[in-house]
Amino acid sequence: MDIALGAQLIDSLRIGLILLDHRGQVVSWNGWMKRHSGLTLADVAGRRLEELFPEVSGSRLESSISDTLRFKLSAMLAPSLNPSLLPLYHRPGDRQRDQRMQQLIYVSPLRHEHCACLIQIHDMTAALRRERRLRAQSNQLIETSYQDALTGVGNRRRFDQDLAQRFRQAKDKKRPIAMLMIDVDSFKAYNDHFGHQGGDACLIRVAQTLRDVLRRDGDRVSRYGGEEFALLLSDADLTAACAVAERLRLAVEQLALPHPAARSIGRVSVSIGIAAMIPTDEQLCYILVAQADLALYTAKDAGRNRCMWYDAESGIARPLPDSALAGLHSK
Amino acid sequence: MSELSELHRDALGELFNLGVGRAAHSLSQMVRDEIELSAPFVDLIHAHEVTATLIGSEFKELSMVTIDFEGPFVSKAILLFPERNALAILSNMLDPELTPEEVAEFEQEAMCEIGNVILNACMSALADEFGIQLHGGLPEHYFSDTDSLPIFAEGDADRLVLLLQIRLTMRQQLVEGHLIFLLSVGSLQDLRDCLDAYLDRIGMR
Repeated sequence: MDIALGAQLIDSLRIGLILLDHRGQVVSWNGWMKRHSGLTLADVAGRRLEELFPEVSGSRLESSISDTLRFKLSAMLAPSLNPSLLPLYHRPGDRQRDQRMQQLIYVSPLRHEHCACLIQIHDMTAALRRERRLRAQSNQLIETSYQDALTGVGNRRRFDQDLAQRFRQAKDKKRPIAMLMIDVDSFKAYNDHFGHQGGDACLIRVAQTLRDVLRRDGDRVSRYGGEEFALLLSDADLTAACAVAERLRLAVEQLALPHPAARSIGRVSVSIGIAAMIPTDEQLCYILVAQADLALYTAKDAGRNRCMWYDAESGIARPLPDSALAGLHSK
Repeated sequence: MSELSELHRDALGELFNLGVGRAAHSLSQMVRDEIELSAPFVDLIHAHEVTATLIGSEFKELSMVTIDFEGPFVSKAILLFPERNALAILSNMLDPELTPEEVAEFEQEAMCEIGNVILNACMSALADEFGIQLHGGLPEHYFSDTDSLPIFAEGDADRLVLLLQIRLTMRQQLVEGHLIFLLSVGSLQDLRDCLDAYLDRIGMR
């Protein structure tokens, strides 16, 4: 291939091309580089990249070039790890806004008497922007698919995933994890009395209340099924979990939604089963659910509108000690 | 390890230890956290044993980076990260705002670069100490599992592979994991020659 054609080809490429000699000085700088850097070959010839762009000093690019010159090694620099390394701009206007191009850079050795290092630069700006947009869309879809359509809190899928993830974290970090299983008392009777629409409205109000109480802590309540809600508390021991549970129970009671079919208090209430543990390596996450469930059913049997916790030592559920309730009821 | 003498093996351990030190330094700068890479445990196995060696370990789902090197000995360097570790490492290197799903999206290219840094550091230490040039290609990234390590099926199943096990620790983040460095050497004799020349030079032989 003759030299003139070679030069034309290099200038027509849609990627940045820089050639360095054995001392790391620029010998070639293609049309793409000129367009996006604003510098011509005459501006850069015979100079090292770190002289041209001070940001190159101490960067991965500098060490990659030196590895290429010294050891003949190749390197790639990902835009996510080296964001906008060189002052290159997608459009001229981006320079004023200081919006640099996102760059994917390859550095590789050449076997030639004058040229020792080839640097290729790809403009990833459009690709990354597209990726971001797709990500935003898919996040929205994911969000929807994890939401309970009626109450707007997390759905069962959300809970199952949170459980697996948080249980594993608790196991890895050897930290406690707690779970609350929350059930609306005598909900079937409520439905029978007010009809399904009334029942739905009740679930929405309860879910909202649970969420409002928890909002402060950033914890996420999910609808486990029917009239059951579940909540995971990372880094919470039994005492902390009992306090949260009692706060939630009180908040629902204080909603004062009439429930004529509830024999005891005549308004909507919840029963809550609590379990907490520092998981051992052998334990599976379902054990936490089973324990909270057992505590919940004991609370139901004990007369509803109450919290009970699972005592791992005895394997039975117990009512909250007065110390856990102190201070809550006065508020 | 019958194909390499005790002395050869020690020398390789020493040389890779140097490289691993360089890699740890570069990675620490990238993560802005102290990364420790343990001195590698060096072993020599047959290509067909690679999968068997990895099965039963944490290396079920793999993130894998390979680079081809040419020089006095031709070789393919392969770095294996268990998938879970790879994501944990990455989530610390990338923007902390990213969700795990987003980290996974950047995994391919970012792992490529991290593998590139570690492999180049090790191979440049070898090249440096052997006084040779190893022409290194660009890194390639693969997702794989131990059932389908295609790279080792290529060619000769009796081919010898240098296996280095390295423990990686990230100080602040309490991330810990293994990585495995496989060096498939075209000719063991050429590697031995380089080692002998190195040992002669430092007066160990």
